[in-house]
Amino acid sequence: MNVRLAHFSLALIAVAFAAQARDIHYGAVQHPDLLDCDQLQWRGQNDEADACYRLLLGKDVPPAIHAEAAWALGDLQLANRLFRDAAALQPDDASIRVRWGDLFSETHQDGEAMTIYREALDADSGNAFALLGSARVLVGGFDDEANTYLEPLLTDASKDAGARAAAWLIVARVSLESSNMAQAANALDEAEAILESGDWPPLELYALRAAADLLNNIPESRYTAMSLEYNPGYGGIYSIPAHFYVITRRYRSAIDMYQRAVDIEPGLATAHEELGINLLRDNQMARARKHLEVAYDVDPFSPATVNTLRLLDSFTDFELINDPDIPEIGVLPVTLRLHRDEAAVIAPYAIKMTRESIAEFSRRYGFELKEPVIIEMYPDHEDFAVRTAGMPGIGILGATFGYVVAMDSPSSRPPAEFQWGTTLWHEMAHVFTLEATNHLVPRWFSEGVSVFEEWRSGPNPGVRIPMSVYNAMKEDLFLPIAELDEGFVRPTYDEQVIVSYMQAGLVCMYIDEAYGTRKLKDVLYAFKEGMLTGDAISEVLGISPSDFDDDFADFVDREHGSVLVNLEEWHRTQQSIGQRLLEEDWESIVGLAGHMIDILPQYIEPDSPYIAMAKAKEELGFHSDAIQALEQYWHNGGYDPAALTRLSGWLSDADRARDAIEVLQVVNLVDPLDQELHGNLGDLLLAEQRPDEALLEYQVALALNPHDKATAHYRIARAHNALGDREASQGQLLLALDVAPNFRPAQRLLLELMRADSGNEHN
Amino acid sequence: MVAPPALEFDLINSRIIVLLTMFLPLLAAAELQVVVIEGLGGEERYAEQFAEQVVALESAASSLTTSDRIRIFRSGDFARETVVGFFAELAEALQADDRLAVFLIGHGSYDDHEYKFNIAGPDLTDGDLYDMLNEINSGQLLINTGSSSGALADRLKSDERTLILATRSGAERHATRFGHYFVAALSDGSADLDKNRLVTAEEAYEFAARQVADYYERNGQLATEHPKIEGEHAARFSLARLGAAQPVREDSQLRILIGQRDAVNAEIEDLRLRRDGMTPDAYQAELLNNMLELATLEEDIERREAELANER
Repeated sequence: MNVRLAHFSLALIAVAFAAQARDIHYGAVQHPDLLDCDQLQWRGQNDEADACYRLLLGKDVPPAIHAEAAWALGDLQLANRLFRDAAALQPDDASIRVRWGDLFSETHQDGEAMTIYREALDADSGNAFALLGSARVLVGGFDDEANTYLEPLLTDASKDAGARAAAWLIVARVSLESSNMAQAANALDEAEAILESGDWPPLELYALRAAADLLNNIPESRYTAMSLEYNPGYGGIYSIPAHFYVITRRYRSAIDMYQRAVDIEPGLATAHEELGINLLRDNQMARARKHLEVAYDVDPFSPATVNTLRLLDSFTDFELINDPDIPEIGVLPVTLRLHRDEAAVIAPYAIKMTRESIAEFSRRYGFELKEPVIIEMYPDHEDFAVRTAGMPGIGILGATFGYVVAMDSPSSRPPAEFQWGTTLWHEMAHVFTLEATNHLVPRWFSEGVSVFEEWRSGPNPGVRIPMSVYNAMKEDLFLPIAELDEGFVRPTYDEQVIVSYMQAGLVCMYIDEAYGTRKLKDVLYAFKEGMLTGDAISEVLGISPSDFDDDFADFVDREHGSVLVNLEEWHRTQQSIGQRLLEEDWESIVGLAGHMIDILPQYIEPDSPYIAMAKAKEELGFHSDAIQALEQYWHNGGYDPAALTRLSGWLSDADRARDAIEVLQVVNLVDPLDQELHGNLGDLLLAEQRPDEALLEYQVALALNPHDKATAHYRIARAHNALGDREASQGQLLLALDVAPNFRPAQRLLLELMRADSGNEHN
Repeated sequence: MVAPPALEFDLINSRIIVLLTMFLPLLAAAELQVVVIEGLGGEERYAEQFAEQVVALESAASSLTTSDRIRIFRSGDFARETVVGFFAELAEALQADDRLAVFLIGHGSYDDHEYKFNIAGPDLTDGDLYDMLNEINSGQLLINTGSSSGALADRLKSDERTLILATRSGAERHATRFGHYFVAALSDGSADLDKNRLVTAEEAYEFAARQVADYYERNGQLATEHPKIEGEHAARFSLARLGAAQPVREDSQLRILIGQRDAVNAEIEDLRLRRDGMTPDAYQAELLNNMLELATLEEDIERREAELANER
């Protein structure tokens, strides 16, 4: 049996396993005195268990058993020393190394754990618990090699029963995360049979059965009561199901469950940690910190806890910006958490865009937000990653937890790599699809709506499909609609996540075009009723999922078939252009780029043929053709800041100031930290008699701490003057002249203001 | 052959001269000699960049001094001995109150012992530069925009010499961007922070240093160059004038107006010095009065200049 690994969610499970106080070992160690103590612990008789372990520490038992007792009593350093001594005394005893490895695994030192498991397997190649430990570590690391270790445990009945039971429990967890309920049920049955025969504690089994019930919409599982009867202090009965609320994005329900877990087991570090992380997702900062600090006290080795606490400490570098400043009746509050170095720059645009998205999505999806929206932007991507998952190293740009959105800030990535405005728009669509469905919307639909809204209504609209997705289309890699979620949570090839994003966007576009926007909204609300994808498609669209797949395939063929037929030709031509660019063979480039544009006019990624076409036309002296090429690029959603800045300059020179302004406003969505951009945009706006917008741009330029402060103040003075605010204008002029007393334009405006005032007084 | 001292006053209008008397004493009292040495590009793209920078530097120098006081050594057209010989002649020709600006545009290298500026044939070494510059008795500005230029800091540092270097040490060996930005500053109004239409070495350095830092930060790259300035005179060493120079007018009324303007400028300087002892409102009020007076005088000067131009 192969257990495919769900990357994001398994990370959380792995941690959830790890830091429980000395997990159930299912017979990895067999000493009767130890088992007596363990039985007390597994039954929740903690005081008696502690006394038993302390007694055991004084008994004449092997060092490895002393190590177990020290471990159970929380003295991990002593346990480590004792295991080391035991291993030195009995270097060929694989079971000692297995438990030593388990200790490392529990303290989040997976590399060391794997080394020791390998040593155990070298000593005893079939050691069931070494296989189990290795599998656990690899599952936590999203490594498919875990299957190699699980397979013998699942198929070889001669292996230790406890290890086999634990292996089936791993399979059950992964299956539940995959929503493969039948496989999960089978795995749980297998585990249960073994556990009963061996009289091992059924606590994890009950917790996973409760999780299965939760996923089957039975929130009050009978297994909860059974677990509490077996051990009233076993927090896993809540924290393990809570994880499934997290991976289905029902964070508030998860918070409630984790709270129950720590209520009955106050020392359960993993539950405190998860509670803290999920409270952050609900913007409950103080409460989150409290639980994270408890988690740290119990388990200072957890990277997620340490990372998240460090992130919270860094919040002193962030500013909270409320819009409106003072709450107003009838106005949904929006709060931004932005790094102080860029808050003044980003806030005006972020607030405006957030407001626009709220208006757009409220109207389109018939849902009014009920709580304030909180948007956080992180200049350090790894901070965003920690905010999202507790750990660095994730590749996404933004995450929405409900009313809380976290994302990379514009400065987190080089210009041209990241349209922050489009990302914000995307995440705000998630706020609506999550909240409108009480977080029951499937991942594919939520992503699909967000991608579709980027294309349709976003700040820089246009259908942007990466070439890797066209390649996937050509290879017929799109998934059936009922299985589209799989592409997000269990990708089977490198590009599948982005392919799934685009497929989801195209599905939503297709529903919108073929059935109407109303039906797209109806599908959304079907999910609120708890329908699965297939049922929602059948119920709302009146078509079976498989027929829908056929129709969608026809749609894709209609829209993109001609592209797919010519895809190889497109790639060949692109390679030729690259060579011609090196040779500056502009005539050839015009022909080749034109051919590429004919095949795929929507392609506007950084290697878009429009850019090559514009360059070639300009070199050949056909300036208006060059403008036209970049205009097409812009209209199709192109966002390369260098190309668009060039276009804006050309349009401005051609007396097309309004278009030049629009183009620079798109650049703002990519590179808002460019001082020159704001100054130039302000100049264009002021010339177009739009002083209020110009003032915003000039103020942002000043907030970027420009080199030339005199000019920055002077520009603001001009905007104030155009708005009729002479006092503000005079103040800015003095600031400019204080830096540069001989700044003639500022001097002239100052005199103009004074004379106007003098004239007014005389009048 | 070194050109004889030029009549720099012929090129600078009386307004500027009086202004410089106050703020740029070195410039007002001195002749400016500019030397640009273009090194080997190695690759075509660098060769093109260096050539463009040299053209821009020649243009900037022409805004402040006569062509016979600008000497360009173009890449591949000269040998080490030619440069050394030229500096020996300069040592004879330049007076103590003259000023010398030397630009090294190219690649450098440093082997932990010796710095070399890459030219055709034997390179110019730090020892060569030391000898060449030490023979000259006037105020000096050396700008080296290339890799490893930081290696020169300790070797060439002196009280009368300002050094502007693209890297902080000889160990920064990658090709630099500093030169591009430094040269751009000489024709960019935003580099002229005090808006006196003269770009000083200090203004150009600050502009370029910031652009370099911004470039690496915005592109998410580890900075491989950290520009460095040594010496005290960069703020008084003008390298370019922005816009055309006004012709000189001999006119008593104009002279009076300029004198009045300079007096107000002096008052503004005095006000700035007293700022810390004043309330913000009092400072603002006095600043406003001074600025209005200054602006009015500038207007009067412009008007008188226009009248004089029409009379001709």
